[in-house]
Amino acid sequence: MPPEAADSEDARRARLMVAAQAGDRASYAELLRDITPMLRRVAGRRWPGVGADHIEDVVQDTLLTLHAVRHTYDPARPFTPWLMAILKHRTADGARRAMRRSAHEVVVPNFEETFADLPAKYENDAVDERDALHQAISGLPAGQRRAVQLLKLKEMSLKEAAAETGMSVSALKVAMHRALKSLRAALSRDG
Amino acid sequence: MVEMDTDKLIEALAADARPIRPLAPLSRRVTAWLAVALSAVAMVVGLMGLRPDLAGKLSEAMFALQQVAALGTAIAAAVAALAAGVPGERRWKLWLPSVPLAVWLGSLGHQCWQEWLRLGSHGMEFHPDFACVPGIAMVGLVPAVAMVVMLRRGAPFHPRTMMALGTLAAAALADFGLRLFHAADAALMVLVWQMGTVVLFTAVAGLAGPTVLAARGRM
Repeated sequence: MPPEAADSEDARRARLMVAAQAGDRASYAELLRDITPMLRRVAGRRWPGVGADHIEDVVQDTLLTLHAVRHTYDPARPFTPWLMAILKHRTADGARRAMRRSAHEVVVPNFEETFADLPAKYENDAVDERDALHQAISGLPAGQRRAVQLLKLKEMSLKEAAAETGMSVSALKVAMHRALKSLRAALSRDG
Repeated sequence: MVEMDTDKLIEALAADARPIRPLAPLSRRVTAWLAVALSAVAMVVGLMGLRPDLAGKLSEAMFALQQVAALGTAIAAAVAALAAGVPGERRWKLWLPSVPLAVWLGSLGHQCWQEWLRLGSHGMEFHPDFACVPGIAMVGLVPAVAMVVMLRRGAPFHPRTMMALGTLAAAALADFGLRLFHAADAALMVLVWQMGTVVLFTAVAGLAGPTVLAARGRM
C-alpha cells in the first residue's frame, strides 16, 4: 500500500476510534470489522506455523483488550501503532499460553473402550465431565464466573442477571462470551 | 465457525460502547502528578521545618547537583511510568530516568570517594539510620498514591515496570524533600540509607505491580 493510502486509512480508523470513544456504536462496530482481517494477517505473520484457531484466539483477545483500554488511544497520534502494540502483547501472550499448554500435555494412546459394560462407562464419563466443568467454572475470573452462574446455572435472563449484579446487559454478554471461550479452551485441554 | 464467534464478539463489544473519558496527553498527566506530588512534599517539608543550614548547603555544588538529580529522576521516572501504560508509546521513554539516576548515583559515589580520601575509613560516618525508611515513606506517600491512581488508568501491559518506575518517581521526590529538612549529608549514609530506601521501595513495588495494577482483570 502506498504511504499516502496508508496514511489516509490510518486517519479514517483514527476518526472511527474517536467516534467510538464518544460512544458511537456504529462507528465502533465498523472499526472493529475493518481491523479484524488486518489483525488476522499480522498475527499470522508474527506467529507463523500455528493453526487458524490460535490466530483467531489472538484476534479475539486483541479486540477484547482494545475494548478494555480504548480510553488510552490519543486522537493526536496515529491509530495503527497503538493497535499494533496491543496485538503484539496479545500475540506474545498467546504464544506463551500455547507453550505452557504443550509443556504440560502428555500424548497418551486413545483407547476407544474402557469398559465392556457401556452404561458403566458412560456413567463414569458423565461424572468426570461434570467435575471437569465445575472445576473449569471455578477457575474463571470472578465476573465471568458470576455471569455463568446466573445466566447458565440459575438460568436467569440477561435483565434479571443485570439487576442482580449491577452490571450492564452488554457487560454481562461480554463476560459470558469470554467465559464460554475460556471454558471451551479448558475443557478441550482437559478432555 | 470461529469467524462467526469473532463477529458475535464485535457485536457485543460495539453494544457496550458507551462514551468514555480518553486519557489526557502524557505531558498533561505528568504535570498533574507533579502539581499534586510537589504540593504534598512542600506541605510535609513545611510541617517538619527547613533545616537551618539549607541556604549554605544549596550553595555547595555537590548538594545542589544531588538535589537536581533527585528531582530530575523523579520527573523522568514519572514520564516513563505513565508512558509505559500507553500502548504504542515510544520505548526510549522508559529509559529516560537512567540519565538523572546515573548522575545522582555517580555524584553520591564521587562524594563517598572524596570523603574516603579526606578522612580514611575511620573518619567516614556510618551508623544505622532507619529513620530514612519511614521518612521517605511519609514524604512520598501522597506522590505514590497519586501515581498509583494515575497508573491504574493506563493499560497494564508492563505492570512491574510501571509500578517500579512510578515508585522510583515518588521515592526520588521524597528523598529530594527529605534532604530539605533532614540534616544527614555524609555520602555513605545518604547512599546506603536514603538511596537504599529508594531502591527497596522501587523493587518491592515492582514485584507488587501485577496485583496493584490488575484493575480490569487479565490484561
